[in-house]
Amino acid sequence: MAHLICEVVYRGIFQKNLASRITRGIVLSARKAGRWGIAFGRYGDSPQRNGIPAKDFAIVADSKEELEQHMARYEPKELHVTICVDDTLGKGVESWAWYGLQPINRLLLPDGHLLVTSTQSPDDLLKDIHTKDSPYHLWILPGKASFGGLWVYKEDHTEVRILGALAKIAPQFLSIDAVSEAIREAEWGSDLKVDSARKAYERIESRPVRITEGNPETPYAFELPRWWEMREGVTIPSLPIGKPIEGTKGYRPERSTVFKKFSTRTMRPVIDFDTCVKCTLCWLQCPDSCFDVMPDGLYDANMESCCGCGVCEAVCPVHNCITMVNEAAFEDNASQWEMWRRDKDAYKVWLTEKIQDKVHVARSHGFRYRGQYEEELASGSDLGGRPVTEGIPGENAEEKGLPSTVHVHESASIVTGIPEAPGA
Amino acid sequence: MAEATIFANQTQTLEPFKGVKKVTIEEYFSSGHRTCQGCESALVMKLMVKAAGPRTIVLGSTGCMYVANTTYYSTPWVVPWMHTQLGSSGSAALGTAAGLKALMKKGKMKAEPINVIAFCGDGGGADMGLGAISATLTHKEYNSLILLYDNESYANTDIQLSGLTPYGAHTTFSPPGTVKRIIHTRWKKNVAGMLAAGHPECRYVATVCASYAVEMMNRVRKALTIPGPTFIHSLDPCPKGWDYDPMLSHELGELAIETGIFPLYEVEDGVVKYYGKTKAIVDGRKRKPVREYLLKQGRFAHFTEEDLAYFQAKVDEMWEKWEMPGVVAFRKQPGAVPSVN
Ligand SMILES: Cc1ncc(C[n+]2csc(CCOP(=O)(O)OP(=O)(O)O)c2C)c(N)n1
Ligand code: SF4
Ligand code: SF4
Ligand code: SF4
Repeated sequence: MAHLICEVVYRGIFQKNLASRITRGIVLSARKAGRWGIAFGRYGDSPQRNGIPAKDFAIVADSKEELEQHMARYEPKELHVTICVDDTLGKGVESWAWYGLQPINRLLLPDGHLLVTSTQSPDDLLKDIHTKDSPYHLWILPGKASFGGLWVYKEDHTEVRILGALAKIAPQFLSIDAVSEAIREAEWGSDLKVDSARKAYERIESRPVRITEGNPETPYAFELPRWWEMREGVTIPSLPIGKPIEGTKGYRPERSTVFKKFSTRTMRPVIDFDTCVKCTLCWLQCPDSCFDVMPDGLYDANMESCCGCGVCEAVCPVHNCITMVNEAAFEDNASQWEMWRRDKDAYKVWLTEKIQDKVHVARSHGFRYRGQYEEELASGSDLGGRPVTEGIPGENAEEKGLPSTVHVHESASIVTGIPEAPGA
Repeated sequence: MAEATIFANQTQTLEPFKGVKKVTIEEYFSSGHRTCQGCESALVMKLMVKAAGPRTIVLGSTGCMYVANTTYYSTPWVVPWMHTQLGSSGSAALGTAAGLKALMKKGKMKAEPINVIAFCGDGGGADMGLGAISATLTHKEYNSLILLYDNESYANTDIQLSGLTPYGAHTTFSPPGTVKRIIHTRWKKNVAGMLAAGHPECRYVATVCASYAVEMMNRVRKALTIPGPTFIHSLDPCPKGWDYDPMLSHELGELAIETGIFPLYEVEDGVVKYYGKTKAIVDGRKRKPVREYLLKQGRFAHFTEEDLAYFQAKVDEMWEKWEMPGVVAFRKQPGAVPSVN
């Protein structure tokens, strides 16, 4: 009797299809070897929102009875494998109905496996990932956070590369042959994708993580009221009104004590207070009321509530005054304005360093110009030098009666330039 | 006597904000909501209640602005807020306004004007709740504002099409097919125009877009200072349902106005007034081509040139053929002379 429990932690909506392909792929692969399996999403994470962390699960077992045993639980509490498809979630997860910050490795069993898609080194990732009281294995699949969940689907083979890597991690449940067979049959599979999975299988390597390694911070947490502690009529106390800062000029809105956005963003704004013209637009247009009004009339983006949408950068009229920078570049959520006020020169150095990579640090969920994502993929990932769009849109061309090399260009989408599904 | 004025529909005094520097610094809808990155509807909530001020009760119809805003035992609201059923924003607005009035009349609470705002999504307001909104707009003795935040789909339940979903958009109910490319072939309902035309005793109906924050807040302030029921329709870009990079939310709001797809106007005591960029268009400024707006969104990614041309022609028609451009869809009968009998 044996079983395998995996979770996929991902950015809601952006990676929704990606995550469900991975978990379904796990089950289909296991079925090829006569095992039983089920894939499902975390109930509390639905309906999903753009960028908000969410989880899907896959359970595979030797027998139907053993699977049923595990399905009796609301959701898995112990895992053999955690798959994280956006490395900024290495800082922790506050999913939809989760309160406080859950370390990415929290549910891993001793000697479990954490598989992360990332372009960072293990040591850099471990600056974010919280320490754990038991050793585990860290696997890095080279690659950026995939957009596979968008309707305008951009193919990068992340789902099959994860499946290939998993065949290395848990070969007793998913042999690489079974994975290949499952991919070939999936409606989103293709021969090219089988090759990608096999490449990942051959190349992926792990690094053991000792209990002393990782981010030693205590994750943000708090107690929820028990049902008998709730107020009559299940009324919820409203937020108090915000408070002035340093006299009457500044103002800080009161913020929810139970929902923070520490792990909701893939990017965060970096502000050049020396060039700000105090136009108020960032403050006014921020949907998350992030900005504290400082006594000198500047606006400080408070990282307790920023979800990293980039609207402030988009509305700021001053060139390079607000720059969205990948969340991976930051170690804390401290106030930028305080840093600037303490030492303006040091701040300038810090800011310049953070924003230097503006062109190259891709938004994990977006793009600065149309086609950027495809360009980066073509150069960056482990696809064996073949164009990423070959044989795409990812549909199993053979199954649809076309040789896999045939390109269907007649009805290309005018947004992406990518051909529509055959017969569109 | 104070009471007497209250019973005669006294409203709060809310002067328009004269410029962005005069906008209230306080937030009455703060952070801690779990809407999407770049959710324009969350911004509408924040600006709406910033404009209304602290003496306000907000009622919310089921949808993203309920579910994502007030997940289990948490809230971003500073002012009192209550969830009301999907489709019942009109009833909730009327009932709350009438309840307040009765309590004040009986001396059970201090007589003072309190803003009552009920919001609803396009599904809750333009489809299922339309009847209740219509009824509320006929009760001129109760002060309330109904704000329809239009993200052009049933967004909370994962993007089903509503009566306000634009032509051709990809939703979970209208995915582009392999045989038929365009599944949703109906044109968006003209809610504000319909409600303004159909409720002669409703003294204020307006359309707004939060990309123009100060103008939007000033429309809310005006609606709250006009006695009786009022209605505002807000167009809200929704990165999840429209499928675009969240940073484009603001820009897409502007483009909706600049292309003439969503005209900004207010109808006060029966008089139509265009404002903002829309006024410039009425005065002769060229509209931007709709493709600039449509092609930034994944939900139109399947559009071909033919579809773009059709969409453009329909928008042109709104501007060139309608009795009142963008507001009243009647056409003049060519060469007709008004009938005298
Ligand atoms: C009577 C009823 N039917 C269905 C539902 C399920 N439901 C919850 S939110 C929602 C979508 C509402 O859409 P809309 O009013 O457009 O608001 P949005 O989600 O777009 O903010 C639906 C259908 C419900 N809560 N009540
Ligand atoms: S990125 Fe900017 S606009 Fe978006 S939530 Fe953060 S501070 Fe607000
Ligand atoms: S939008 Fe830019 S210039 Fe305007 S206040 Fe914000 S940071 Fe300063
Ligand atoms: S689905 Fe749309 S309306 Fe709902 S929270 Fe997301 S962006 Fe806002």
